[in-house]
This record gives sequence, C-alpha cells and structure tokens, in this order.
Amino acid sequence: MPVRQVLYFTTEEHLLFRAERQGLDLVAKFSSDEAGLAAFREHLRSARGVLFAVVADLAGEDFHEEQIPYVRGADREALLGRRLAQRYRDTRLAAALSLGTVAAAERRNERVLLASFTNTQLLAPWLDALQEAGVRLAGVYSAPLIAPALAAALGARQERLLIVSANRAGLRQCYLERGRLRFARLERTVDVAPQALAGFIRSETQRLVQYLVTLRALPRDASPVQVLVIAPPAARSAFEQALHSDARLLFRTLDYSEALHALRLRRLPPGIAAEALYVHLAARKPPRVQFATREERRPYLLWQLQRGIVAAGTAALCACALIAGARALETMDVRDQAADEMQRARAAAEEYARITATFPITETSTDNLKATVVEFRRIAERSAQPERAFVHVSRVLQRYPQFELDSLRWNVATAGEQREAALKGLSLDAQAEALVLVELSGRVNATQRSDYRGLTAQVQQFAAALASDGYQLARTQLPFDVTPEGVLSGDIGAGDSNEAPRFTVLLARRLP
Amino acid sequence: MTLSREEWKRLLGPIGLAAALLACGVALLYAGGESLASARRQFSAAQAERRQNSERLERIAEEEREVKEKIDVYRRLRQLNILGEERRLEWADAVGRIRAQRELLDLRYMVDRQRLLSSVQGKPGKVDFYASTMKVELALLHEEDLLRFLADLRESGNAFYAVRKCAMSRTGQALTGATMTPRLRAECDVDLVTIMDRGAKK
Repeated sequence: MPVRQVLYFTTEEHLLFRAERQGLDLVAKFSSDEAGLAAFREHLRSARGVLFAVVADLAGEDFHEEQIPYVRGADREALLGRRLAQRYRDTRLAAALSLGTVAAAERRNERVLLASFTNTQLLAPWLDALQEAGVRLAGVYSAPLIAPALAAALGARQERLLIVSANRAGLRQCYLERGRLRFARLERTVDVAPQALAGFIRSETQRLVQYLVTLRALPRDASPVQVLVIAPPAARSAFEQALHSDARLLFRTLDYSEALHALRLRRLPPGIAAEALYVHLAARKPPRVQFATREERRPYLLWQLQRGIVAAGTAALCACALIAGARALETMDVRDQAADEMQRARAAAEEYARITATFPITETSTDNLKATVVEFRRIAERSAQPERAFVHVSRVLQRYPQFELDSLRWNVATAGEQREAALKGLSLDAQAEALVLVELSGRVNATQRSDYRGLTAQVQQFAAALASDGYQLARTQLPFDVTPEGVLSGDIGAGDSNEAPRFTVLLARRLP
Repeated sequence: MTLSREEWKRLLGPIGLAAALLACGVALLYAGGESLASARRQFSAAQAERRQNSERLERIAEEEREVKEKIDVYRRLRQLNILGEERRLEWADAVGRIRAQRELLDLRYMVDRQRLLSSVQGKPGKVDFYASTMKVELALLHEEDLLRFLADLRESGNAFYAVRKCAMSRTGQALTGATMTPRLRAECDVDLVTIMDRGAKK
C-alpha cells in the first residue's frame, strides 16, 4: 500500500499527517512563512512515492450558486470553466459542485455551487512546491468539501443540516442541503471554557441561519434546521446544557470520541482537534470534486493509470484463474466419474471372470471355441458324402433292369458348375448354396435301337425316376436328341447295329 | 490526457506486468482446458469399457449355454486330431491299413500341398482352416469297395474328410478264373481338412 500524507493547511500553521487505515500520525509541522515552505520542500525530497492530499481549512472561502443549462461532458466542463472565470479572478483553486437539476419551463437546468478561496496566494507557493517536487497530488480539498462525507459517516441524513466542529483553524460551520454542500464558513476562536464555546457556537449558528435565510438558501418558514455539533473531548455535557433547541434550530451534540469511533479512527497524535476527522476522510474517502488542476494532479493520474493497468492484468488473471478453477473442479468431477466407471468396468470383468471360471475347462478361449465350432459346422454342412447318391441310383436301377451304367460321376459342384445350374433354373442360388452333381452314363438293353420312340420314353421314365428324393434333373442326353436345340441324325436302311443305345443323365441336389 | 514519451516509458513496466499476468491467465485457461479434455477422453474410454464389460456380463448366460453346447464338438475335433498340425504319416498309415484290411486290388493316392481354406478372427488368436486334397485311384471288384474305403477313411480320424469328387467307371477287362480282375475303377478327390487354433493353450 502506498504511503498517504495529508497536509492540513490553516492560516497560521500547516500540519502534515501520515494517514493509515485506522489512524493518523503527525509527520511534521510547518509554519506558514518562508521557513516553513523551505522545510516543506526539504521534506518533499525524501517523499518519493508518497500520495499527497491537501485539506485547506481557511476563512474566506466563497460559495456561489448558479444555474447552467443541463449539458454533459466537454460542454459542461467548458461552461463551468467560463462561469468560474467570470466569478473568480484566479481560477487556479476554483471548483464547481453539482446541486442537482431543476426543471424550468423551457429547459432543464443544473444547479451548481461555484467555490473558491478569496486569497489563493496563501496556498499557491505550497502547491508549486508539490508540483516542482513531482509528487503524486491526489487532490486539494477544503474542509467544507469533505463535510458531506463527514455527515454521511456520522449518520446525519437530514434534508437541511448544519454540521459544526471546533477545528484547529476555528469554528467550522458547513450547511448541507440534501447531503450536498451549500455553504460554509470559518470563524476564528480563542481558547475558552466549554460553556463559553457552546454559547459562541449557539450565537454563531443563529447568525449563520439568519444569513442563509437572507441569501434565500434557507426558506424562511421551513422546519427547524438540524445542527450537529461535534463537541470537543469532555465538553459534551456543557454543550448539551448550553445548546437548547428551539423553533429554528434543533441541536444534536456528538462527542468527539463518538465521531472518531464512527469514522473508525482509533489512533491520533496528541493535541489534535476535530480537523482529524476531515484529514482522515480526505485520505480515505476523498470527494470527487477538488480544487487542484489536472496538470497538478498529473503524476497522481499517471500513477492511477499504472495501477489501473496492473489491476486490469490482475483482474484478467483472476478471471482466468476462476474459469480455470471451475474447469479444474469439473476435471476432478469427470476424473471421479471416470474412476467410478473404471471401477465398475473392473467389477464387471471380475464378475465375468468369476462366472466363466465355473465354465467347463477348455483348451482355448471362449471366442476361439465358438469361432472354431461355428466355422467347422459351416464347412461340414457344405461337404457331402457320395454314399447317399449311390444308394439312390441303386434303388432306381433295381426298378429299371434294362439300364446298365458304364460310369457314375459324383462331385460337389464347382463355382462355374453352380452358376450353370442356376441358369438352368434349378432354383439354386449359386452364390450361397452348395450343389452336388451326379452324372450317370450307360446303355439301354433289351430294346430295338430302331424303336426310338420306345427308347426315348424309357430313358425319360428312368430320368424321371432318378429325379426324386431331393434330386433334380439337370440334363438328359437321349439316344435320339429330340430337343429343338439338338441335332437329330439317323442311319436308315444300313441294317441294325448291335450296339446298345447310350444315354447320359445329370442330376443335381442342393446341400442343406 | 495526452501522455508524453517519458510517461509512456513509465507505463511500459505496468503494461508488461499486466501482459505477463494475462499470459499466465491464458496459460492457466489452456492447461485447465487440456486437463478437462484429457479427463473427458479418459471418461469416455472408461465408459465404453464399462459398457462392453456389462454387456458381456449380461450375455454370460447365453455364452455359458453356447460354450457347453460347443465344447463337446471342440473336444471331439481335438480327439480326432482334426485340431492341430497335419498328420500326413498317419494318413499314409491309414490308407495302407484300409487297403490291407479291405483287400483292395490296387490303390494309388497323392496328397497335394496344404492350402488355406478359411481363416476366422478369434480372441486372442485367429482360427485357420486348412485343406490338403488327396487324389485316390482305386481298382474295385464291386462298387461297395469304394463306399467301404471312404467310410474307413473317415473312421481313421486325423482330419475331416470332405469328398469333393468321385468318378466310377467300368474297366472293361474280361473276367478270368485264375486271378482277381477289377471290374471297376474309381477316382476320388478328398479334402483333408485340419484346423489350427492360434489361441489354444499349448
């Protein structure tokens, strides 16, 4: 955290405090003459990196209310600059505070309070010293500018409030309207008894109220004005006795220690009066409006920019870390789920192994066992043995004794033979099913060769008898080819040949 | 506020620091994303394995029935030496023994080179089915000699015998009283099928 120092500036002397979170330390006291200024310059040489603020608690602070057209941005800034220049000869220490908007008949206006010091020369050399030293000047405030923050910290939220405190510089009176500064004045005091001080406060407050009524800053027939008086240590009872409320003023006395407690200000150097409240708030809760120019605050603004850049980087890192953290949590969750799935997978595998351990002992794996048996069965089903065909042919031959076989050929059809059989309409799927072919060649005895009608009929009967028991007739070659596709030939008149007529029958059977 | 060159220089440090912080953040994001993606992949793999194992466990009753049904066939194949390496010497012994027992007049055979019939992917190894074609020529007195020969061959084991072709024809030789004259001649092609189970326990 940077060191913050606040220069409390009065007409007689200037006190430099180091402001911490809950305390103030007096760093140095400077007289208001040249010697004091030289000492201040000397101090600034060793104050590199310190954030400075100035709280001016001076008499002769001017407040003037005006109305300007309701504009924003650079237009408002330019307009206020002109109004301040019109009002004050030296605008180095001049500021404009917004008092809210008013709705006029034709346009909307903004009420502004122009504020400045009547004698800026008191402050100027000290501000020059700060600028020359290049220190970070956070702002130049007057005690009245801090008064709204003080009232808020003390819980005083009345519509019209006078806040009165006995500062080192004198009796500070600030008039707030709806929490905004409207007027302030500083009246010099001398060391008097609390009773006398209370009387002085009462009379000064009555004068101020009368003045505000004259200014029309306070309505004549308004309700009583709340006056919050911060009593010096051990003076509260005397103040309460002296400050009676009436139809115009409603006094409320607050002990100095209570005010310190409300501001959480726990450590103070000895001999410090109510100005500590203003100094502390200038360091901790500075008002947005202050008197220093942009150029005077340039090192401070640059410092703020540097911190802003680092803060943006830090915020980006934090945002990324948050997202990464969320992802890390999700990752942990997913990993937990994965571990759970793995455990369940292992449990299922172990259960499977436990159950399969009770299976019959095999010399191979279950998968290979199934593969072996299934494929072997497929091969076996597509294989055939010739015995069945032999038995079938023998049975048919017994019924046709005139037929004599010369050869018998049995084979499992090749792919080409299967395609050929399929083309002949044997209702076979050449791609999917195996086929057994049986080819019989032989002779027909006991029939005249010239009786070709009789021969043809017998061979056709024989072939028809063979085409049973799952066999289909694929082809029949008769002694006489009577098909339109064949060639019919004869040898009439040359005498009968002794050779028996030959035939060929081709059978097909589909394998299951 | 317009910044001077000197002020820009004073901003370089914070800008560098902010950039470094941002880079750290991006690195964190990247690492977090990669870690999450890896965890998701791990989860998907674990989920798939769990599903597979669960489904296998659900099918176990069916598998048990299947194993029990097939184990007898498998054992019978091993018992008959159909499972395992080819046993050509045993085949030659069997053919010789059948010829002697059945008093076959003439028997010639030739076994071709082994060829791969089919291959089935199992787990942990595949199962290969091989076939070696045996060409047999027999001189027969009666056609039943061929059927007996084939039956004896099947009984001899050491392979699964799948007859591919058998052709039988008359020899046309005249019968003589002195010697046994073959009346028929048969030629057969028989595939001798053996199985190699690469996943079988040695």
